[in-house]
Amino acid sequence: MDILFFIYISMAMFAVGVIGVLVKRNALIFFLSIELMLNAANLLFVAFARQWGNETGLVWVFFVLVVAAAEAAVGLALIINLFRSKQIVDVDQYNVLKG
Amino acid sequence: MFPFATIAQWILGIVLVLSSFGVILLEKPIHASLSFLLTLLMLAALYLQLSAQFIAVMQVLVYAGAILVIFMFVIVLFQDAYQQLSKFQPRSYKPFLIFAAIAFTGSLIFLGYQLRAHPPAQRALPTGYGTVESLGEALYLDFFFPFEAVIFVFLIALIGAVYIGRKAK
Repeated sequence: MDILFFIYISMAMFAVGVIGVLVKRNALIFFLSIELMLNAANLLFVAFARQWGNETGLVWVFFVLVVAAAEAAVGLALIINLFRSKQIVDVDQYNVLKG
Repeated sequence: MFPFATIAQWILGIVLVLSSFGVILLEKPIHASLSFLLTLLMLAALYLQLSAQFIAVMQVLVYAGAILVIFMFVIVLFQDAYQQLSKFQPRSYKPFLIFAAIAFTGSLIFLGYQLRAHPPAQRALPTGYGTVESLGEALYLDFFFPFEAVIFVFLIALIGAVYIGRKAK
């Protein structure tokens, strides 16, 4: 197997995540797109760890998983709170901090 | 010369990219999250192909088992919000957004083309690579301080989630 295959797949996934954040207006899809980008980085970590036979990359994947779980907890709490105050999941309608 | 990728890896990779497109292209959030679940499972299979068994198991347990379940709960909570979603039009100009996305993708492809010129060498794997034993050894011997610091990250995230998510008086 060639590492370039995994690099290309990871690039495609990351680009899809960026497109999702740029184009979609639904807060939940926003969140899923961020998770897609995290997973693309994870795939690259695993691929390079396999390439060099070094487990440090796998340890970093573990830490990324932890951060993703913490992010899910805080982010979803934020979304629920925003939804409670405005009854809307459209990110363009959240402008409380705009001043 | 080893092949670029085996047939199984091609299938897994193509399904992975297609299902990640499904996350942003499908209209209903429940369908998008199911597509994301497919993405996660394909990723776990690719991790197995890269001989990282423990990470593959953690991927399914943490992502598909924990994060996506919380996510589904939130989607069920928001169920009646989707009917009103379609009447809000995005304020940003869509051509600009699409142009930014295309420019980003193009720069990534350029980067990949540059990488093509210098393929790194493949090394032999040490025995027990990717198992719980060797990964646990790395975590508890070489990365002990970050591992302990992660506990504080979790604790603070937990407190923050409870504080943010509580009902305002």
